[in-house]
Amino acid sequence: MNEVCFKNIDKKEPWSLSTYEASGGYSVWRKILKGELSPENIIDELKASGLRGRGGAGFPTGLKWSFMPRNSDIQKYVVCNSDEGEPGTCKDRDILRFNPHSVIEGMAIGGYVMKASVGYNYIRGEFMEPFYRFEAALKEAYKTGLLGKNISGSSVSFDLYTHLGAGAYICGEETALIESLEGKKGQPRFKPPFPANVGLYGKPTTVNNTESFASVPEILAKGGKWFHDLGVKNSGGCKLFSVTGHVKRPANFEVPMGIPFKDLLDMAGGIRDGRKLKAVIPGGSSTPVLTADEALAMNMDYDSIENAGSMLGAGSVIVMDDSTCMVKTLTRLAHFYYDESCGQCTPCREGTGWLYRILKRIMDGDGKSGDLDLLNNVGSNILGNTICALGDAAAMPVESFLRNFSEEFEYYIENGKSMVKDNV
Amino acid sequence: MFEIEIDGKLVNAEAGEKLIEVTDRVGISVPRFCYHEKLSVAANCRMCLVDVEGAPKPQPACSTPVSEGMKVSTQNEKAKSAQKSVMEFLLINHPLDCPICDQGGECELQDVAMSYGSNVSRFNEGKRVIADSNIGALIHTDMTRCIHCTRCVRFGTEIAGIMEMGGTGRGESLKIEPFLNEGIQSELSGNMIDVCPVGALTSKPFRYELRSWQMNSTESIARHDLVGSNINVQTYKGKVKRIVARSNDSVNETWISDRDRFSYEGLSHSNRLLKPQVKFDGTWKEVSWEVALDFCVKGLLRSAGESNSMNSLGVLASKTATLEEYYLLQKLVSELGCENIDYRLGVKDTKNTINLESNVKLSDLEKIDHALIVGSYTRLEQPMINHRLRKAALRGGTVDVINSMQFDFNLALNNENIIIPCEIANLLASTLKVVLESTNQDVPEELNKLTITKSATKIAKKLLSSDASVIVLGEHVINNDNAKNISNLVAMLAKNTNSSTLNLSKTGNSIAADIAGFFPGKDGLDVNSMLGKDMNAYIMFDVYPEYDFHNSSTAIKALSDKNSFIVSMNSFYNNNVADYSDVMLPISSYYETSGTHVNIEGEFQTFAASVKAPQESKPAWKVIKVLADLLDISGFNYSDSSNVLEEAKHNIKQGHRAEESINITDTNSVEVIWQPSPYSIDALLRHSDSLQETKIGQINKATMNSSTAKHLNLGDKDDYLGVPVVISSLVANNCVFINANKSTPSEEQA
Ligand SMILES: Cc1cc2nc3c(=O)[nH]c(=O)nc-3n(C[C@H](O)[C@H](O)[C@H](O)COP(=O)(O)O)c2cc1C
Ligand code: SF4
Ligand code: FES
Repeated sequence: MNEVCFKNIDKKEPWSLSTYEASGGYSVWRKILKGELSPENIIDELKASGLRGRGGAGFPTGLKWSFMPRNSDIQKYVVCNSDEGEPGTCKDRDILRFNPHSVIEGMAIGGYVMKASVGYNYIRGEFMEPFYRFEAALKEAYKTGLLGKNISGSSVSFDLYTHLGAGAYICGEETALIESLEGKKGQPRFKPPFPANVGLYGKPTTVNNTESFASVPEILAKGGKWFHDLGVKNSGGCKLFSVTGHVKRPANFEVPMGIPFKDLLDMAGGIRDGRKLKAVIPGGSSTPVLTADEALAMNMDYDSIENAGSMLGAGSVIVMDDSTCMVKTLTRLAHFYYDESCGQCTPCREGTGWLYRILKRIMDGDGKSGDLDLLNNVGSNILGNTICALGDAAAMPVESFLRNFSEEFEYYIENGKSMVKDNV
Repeated sequence: MFEIEIDGKLVNAEAGEKLIEVTDRVGISVPRFCYHEKLSVAANCRMCLVDVEGAPKPQPACSTPVSEGMKVSTQNEKAKSAQKSVMEFLLINHPLDCPICDQGGECELQDVAMSYGSNVSRFNEGKRVIADSNIGALIHTDMTRCIHCTRCVRFGTEIAGIMEMGGTGRGESLKIEPFLNEGIQSELSGNMIDVCPVGALTSKPFRYELRSWQMNSTESIARHDLVGSNINVQTYKGKVKRIVARSNDSVNETWISDRDRFSYEGLSHSNRLLKPQVKFDGTWKEVSWEVALDFCVKGLLRSAGESNSMNSLGVLASKTATLEEYYLLQKLVSELGCENIDYRLGVKDTKNTINLESNVKLSDLEKIDHALIVGSYTRLEQPMINHRLRKAALRGGTVDVINSMQFDFNLALNNENIIIPCEIANLLASTLKVVLESTNQDVPEELNKLTITKSATKIAKKLLSSDASVIVLGEHVINNDNAKNISNLVAMLAKNTNSSTLNLSKTGNSIAADIAGFFPGKDGLDVNSMLGKDMNAYIMFDVYPEYDFHNSSTAIKALSDKNSFIVSMNSFYNNNVADYSDVMLPISSYYETSGTHVNIEGEFQTFAASVKAPQESKPAWKVIKVLADLLDISGFNYSDSSNVLEEAKHNIKQGHRAEESINITDTNSVEVIWQPSPYSIDALLRHSDSLQETKIGQINKATMNSSTAKHLNLGDKDDYLGVPVVISSLVANNCVFINANKSTPSEEQA
């Protein structure tokens, strides 16, 4: 546990440069500055490590970096996605608070590999403490001569800037993030072209999640194989899981991929006393909900969660006990997507509102017999037809909630009230 | 070039093309709302989703690039179901108020819904309602109908060059609205009505008038500028009801200016001249055409006097006649032996003005890499030419300017020279000197004494280093004391830097007037000489003296005082005309006659009449023909105006050409540039109420800087030459730039 991003979490002032360096921080970066590590080397190690993007889609990071037109001379950018807005996710916040230097080093390495001399860290608007921690770390790094132009006499240059968002979930979507960084309204771009070809200011850009960047220095220090072997097949290494909901000790846990969900639940202190596990959303609010049985039988890695019928996503485990009204929960989620849709593309702009209004009507006691079919149908009409994945994220929970907890929805429609009596 | 398969058919595609361009080309219909071939791709409506083999999700045809071997279905279950889903989403919050919507019958949403929509709604929640904003006199908004395709927003940023409409709010509360409360001000704003696929943006003057299918549509040509934009004139029961753009990539693409779109309103203004009238003993009497024409003939013959000579007849026309009208009128009076013919009423000295050819195609204008604009605010004065220049600038071309006032261009300027009018010729001469010296050519003596300024060097370097450059000469210099020098200098600069030229001073249909030979003959008098002489008679063609003459009160005085016999043909009634004329013949206005406009490329664009001239007014070419018959002049038996055009084409006259001579004079008094405001340049525009209500229509100001104001002893509450003073540092020192929507200056002032 706590071997990579949370390595120093129990030390005094884990965020300081001295703590970071004392545990081997910036050793990889210094090697690069001395010319002892080639970009190809690094990409090979990353590929071997099995590191997959921690922002939700799980795309292999080494492969992603190799897509950048590394050998062309045009300006390129690396961007860190610290917008962390998905309900249930709070891991990037703690990385920024407790280990900001790992993000800086990871981004610098990325910049070196992809020949991008400028980086931006886009931090969620509400993250004040993480923002100040990261800014302070950045200052330290500059002061120590770890960043800038021709760093310590080498031919390597890397400048890093922090950007504070303004509180829109959609700005976590990488192309909306890029628009927002450019000073425009945060709305996703259609793809292709992909950011690796046309990104920030029209230049090749790679966006990675905070945790993805933060994992890179340790992987390169200890070797790709070391990281890979921490985890299981197709899910190399360890990962931060944010366990929230009806558990006794909600927290972030950095554990090896593939540990049983049961064990993770125990780490979080288990379900509240006198309550039973009812449902789990394993990867953040946009991933399908699982029943207690499905969850208890599953391990925490990409393949197992997929086999159980959901997705690992950003590793945001939302635990619900038997006091939870699933109608109310889905209504709340639907409201979130309805509220956060950027509005540019038709299915998401119109569909998320429609979903929410049907659910709200059911909650108000005005449900009708055809409503569940309609919900399912509207959801599937959004799915796959939008510019970005927010539409999918809004649609996916609907299907799984209705599939797994249909009797609760039917009860609500028939009786105008929740089936869960002691719902709190 | 490679093949792709669409709906089982093999079709050719070009790398870089989007799928929808291919389907459009081969005639496979893919529904769309946000896509517009002249705007950037937004891919936001999702209506064009099709199935691309190998792609897990349906792909938008408008943004998906073609690739070799691609297999596409626009019709299979996956495509159809995606399209139907999107259609339903678009309709749930749409008011479906087609019965009271002006767009009904020409609505893209309505059309597509017929094929892709369902006939029952599954949406039982409350619908969204959006409050409308008043965005000015031209465009009516019903934003509840908006489908957020952002065409109008993209039109603003990409074509009009000012972001006036934008999307505020997100998700369901995304609203398309103007950012500012000042309404829409672009000179091209009406195109938003054309690009809006639904009834959210409709024509305000046309609101609730008619259904589109009730109207007849005729193709025509707009004549307010040098482009001759292609339009469709939509009519009902003999009245023009609306004008919309007609695509012609080599002329106006799919855009037209607001001037061209809305000026038709003036046609039904109560001020139209509708009946022939004759002045008996100082009072006007409505008479029949026979009586009126007989009166004209007798009066003209009488004016020739004993000697029976027409030497003392003057013939003056405005700049907006058709080629046929110019040709016939000129032919008529030439046959009578009269050579006193002119249309350059606004020119102070016809011997000292611009004579420059235009030699660049409109469609090539957007490909130039450098432009030098001299004396023009192209954006408001020639909007469609400005649009091409803007496209060139967006492609990386540079634009330099020599003006006497700083204007609000919607394109990036490289180098803006704001100088007093009398320095323009010097700057150009100095630029020419740099050009000649750096190309190792002889420098003419007149240029020797000139010192070379930094600005001149900069301007010259740009012209020399560009492969495709153009020098644009505008209207602001027609009455410059060095107008002829400027014109000659531009021609010489162009020749020595391999640049093309555009002469924007030939506004309206002036090029046609030149071609038709509507200028003084060898021994003829020009406009100013006529006014200075005791002419026995005049024929005045659609002249409105207080607007058309350079010096209105001198002209009016000359026309009223002397006891000349004056025949006026006008489309609008005018008090001054009524004062000095003896006969008033009501003639056709725009769209009421067939004819030809010749644009800046020299393109002859012929149009048919869209409606009949109202009441007793008649197409002017017919009036001239009958007059010729009554005067017993042969050679006027044309059956329709196309015969006139044929003949005119065989008799093309050469206008005046630039010369290679320079002789710069100095001035040191305050210099005035008088430029009519863009919606006041002709009679039809001046009678178009909605245009007059707009910000551009209201422009009426004499702008000067504070030191000029001090020198003239004026404050910002005063008038100068009858125009309200605005004090601003945008104008060169010692210069007053007047943009007037009222008459031209009178004698005491000019
Ligand atoms: C609606 C939406 C919100 C997202 N929010 C985040 C976010 O807050 N943080 C993040 O890292 N990725 C987010 N993503 C995923 C990013 O688009 C992108 O895939 C990711 O940053 C790539 O980083 P990775 O390869 O390291 O995972 C979001 C995606 C969508 C569609
Ligand atoms: S799916 Fe939603 S959030 Fe994404 S582009 Fe479309 S409207 Fe915007
Ligand atoms: S036309 Fe393709 S998405 Fe709108």
